[in-house]
Amino acid sequence: MLFINSFRSEWLKKRRTASSLLTVIGALLIPLIVLIARLDDAGALAAVNRQPRLWENLYGRNWQLMGLLLLPMGVVLATSLITQIEYRNNTWKQLCTTPQSLTMIFLAKFSVILVMLVEFFLLFTFGIWLTGVLPGLFFRDVPYPVEPLPVKAFFNGSARFFLDILPVVALQYLLSLRFKNFLIPLGAGLGLYVASMIAVHWRHGYWIPYTYSAYNFMGGAGATFHTHYWAAGYSVLFIGLAYILYITRKEKG
Amino acid sequence: MSNYCLETTRLSHRFAGVPVLNKIDLRVPEGSIFGFLGPNGAGKTTTLRLMLGLLKKQEGEISVFGKPFAANRVAVLSKVGSLIESPSVYAQLTAAENLRVLQKVYRCPVERIAHVLQLTGLADTGKKKAGRFSLGMKQRLGIAVALLNDPSLLILDEPTNGLDPEGIIEMRELFRTLNSQGVTILLSSHLLAEMEKLITHAGIIHKGQLLFQGTLEELRVGRDGEDLESIFIHLTKKRA
Repeated sequence: MLFINSFRSEWLKKRRTASSLLTVIGALLIPLIVLIARLDDAGALAAVNRQPRLWENLYGRNWQLMGLLLLPMGVVLATSLITQIEYRNNTWKQLCTTPQSLTMIFLAKFSVILVMLVEFFLLFTFGIWLTGVLPGLFFRDVPYPVEPLPVKAFFNGSARFFLDILPVVALQYLLSLRFKNFLIPLGAGLGLYVASMIAVHWRHGYWIPYTYSAYNFMGGAGATFHTHYWAAGYSVLFIGLAYILYITRKEKG
Repeated sequence: MSNYCLETTRLSHRFAGVPVLNKIDLRVPEGSIFGFLGPNGAGKTTTLRLMLGLLKKQEGEISVFGKPFAANRVAVLSKVGSLIESPSVYAQLTAAENLRVLQKVYRCPVERIAHVLQLTGLADTGKKKAGRFSLGMKQRLGIAVALLNDPSLLILDEPTNGLDPEGIIEMRELFRTLNSQGVTILLSSHLLAEMEKLITHAGIIHKGQLLFQGTLEELRVGRDGEDLESIFIHLTKKRA
């Protein structure tokens, strides 16, 4: 019950913040681009919507841009913005004098980020679905996709991306809790992302946790190691470290 | 059981090796309005931050409601309202939304929100975002936040900062009313003339040392006719 209250309190705080807006815009941007690209190629739409592997094709096109670019960058930005709510408003001191343990504050904030990520994934998947069905509303000869929506495959694919992005969430959370200056977690996140893009073809590229969503999209590139296990391991390590650093801070607000 | 609502024993603190508090034995009697007075940098805010657990305690003991603070942090904080330094408000939220955020955590009745908004004169702020409030309005919202959980102990650091004369009088009346209802109030302020009209007890701190604590009458012994400001200056100069 206590956790629910802390979570609801944290959830209310993000109202009208950039992180809320980013979740919606970030999730729907790429489906919108894919949709525009599809509508631009109107002549082929009718045939494409009758293809048996339409959804796999749309899923791949959407995730190609999302997994490689927008997801890591969006996570870096949104996670840093959540803790900035307290720094920017000078509210850490108020928060830390409320009757809840520091562990509860830590977990409630982290949970808000995770739920926002789930919200993001759901919106993005909804956006992929729209890229498949909306052309049928614009053009009479374009049918509703013949292939049934592969819900299970979509879910499994999204779950893998979710797991692969978790270490990025955890490390960004650690950095944004630690540093008041927004530019530090943001700069570190973007720097590591660029490094990961350079390292993605390096044989030890998996050492950098920011590479996992790219590896996940590329599929076979990560065949020699288990990306998901590395992602889970890094996530536990970073979140444990973030907790220890947060709880042992000499100054709470 | 002690009659002190808040008590520190040999409380000392250092920043980067430099001592800022030296063996402070502060005792805030239950039911008092305790003025914690001192010049800038005397150690007032550091003491208040230690009392609320915002700074990690280095030396000494702190007990609130007769219980050690560290071991009873959550239970103690559920009965304490506080405003430390500048008010903490979420700029993108309205006054009511700011209070709603904290009402969830305090688990107090939702009706308290309208009540404290009324008490602090913010009932008509409607949909205006707190970020667009004047400093005085933010201060009122900070006080509303401190009152939200119907606390037994209020710890307020410079609560009249940014308030206009009318606001200062309103808050003085509010603190008196709350005190008459049994709330112990610990106030830190530079406005000595204002404090003199309100407080029942005083603690004077200077360069990290507690120079005096007791009732206002005790402070005035042998200084008939002198106001608080003169006594304060006399005490702090003597130790300078």
